[in-house]
Amino acid sequence: MHELAHWLGTYNSSLGLYNAAILTTIFGSFCVSFTVILCWGRLVQDLGPLGGMLSAAIIIGTFWVMNHKLPGFGIHPELMKSAGGDTIQFGLIQQGGHGGAPWIDMGWAVAMGIWVCGLCETPVAERKRLFAESLPRIALVILGGLFGGALAGLVGYTGAELFGWPEAVPRHP
Amino acid sequence: MSRRLGTLTGAAICGALVFSVWPEMWKTYGIFGGWMTAAVVISICWYMNHWLGVIDNPAGRLWVDQGWAVGAAGIAWALVRWQGGLDAFAACLPTLGLCLIGGTLGGLFAYQVKKHLPSAGKKED
Repeated sequence: MHELAHWLGTYNSSLGLYNAAILTTIFGSFCVSFTVILCWGRLVQDLGPLGGMLSAAIIIGTFWVMNHKLPGFGIHPELMKSAGGDTIQFGLIQQGGHGGAPWIDMGWAVAMGIWVCGLCETPVAERKRLFAESLPRIALVILGGLFGGALAGLVGYTGAELFGWPEAVPRHP
Repeated sequence: MSRRLGTLTGAAICGALVFSVWPEMWKTYGIFGGWMTAAVVISICWYMNHWLGVIDNPAGRLWVDQGWAVGAAGIAWALVRWQGGLDAFAACLPTLGLCLIGGTLGGLFAYQVKKHLPSAGKKED
């Protein structure tokens, strides 16, 4: 057991993640994608559009807690630091760069899972055609996401001093 | 053409909405704020993009989920918001790869399980 614990805490320099974080990231992505594929479509069949909106809350909301929660305390969020200075992460999907890398959302896992599952359910003769047909649509959705996300990120340049936090805005001498 | 415009627009709105609302709600209301955001943001985005069909998903084709948009928006949002460069982008790639591996495994498992699970199938089957 001691060896296992040691191995899980090993720093993997090639990936920049602890071995334990690699396992939790794969497992968290696996869980959310499996649950969405099994439950979401069926809830829509049973309850109509309200089933989909319910799924958003009870599936995505709940798995957000599992995969993406960070320590936040009320209105003054303080990111807890480990002894090494990294932000301590509690979600299963570990964000890279010691918590400072661009955000990887479990949306990637869900979309990938639905796509792979659909590909498996397609008859073999049809697979190539449907695969090729879906790629431009995926690219378009990713492009739209990049566009929307980049525009939303522009609020970082407005320099508003919300709540007067000294940390809220870089100091200009 | 207008179907493509709808796909782009729906994806952009979904991505922008998620990363404008989620961090603020979480910072303000903690864990329950994050849970509530899923109920508020994902539900209306799903309704628009997938129930009304703003993101183009013709019948009998592979499903293209708005999750692609949310994922892509997360990277773009963080890069623009904190003015990250190529090295910042590279730092997120391991997590992205693991996330896609996990999602693929989830899809494969779900396919195997659904095959032998009548209640998970379509009603008309």
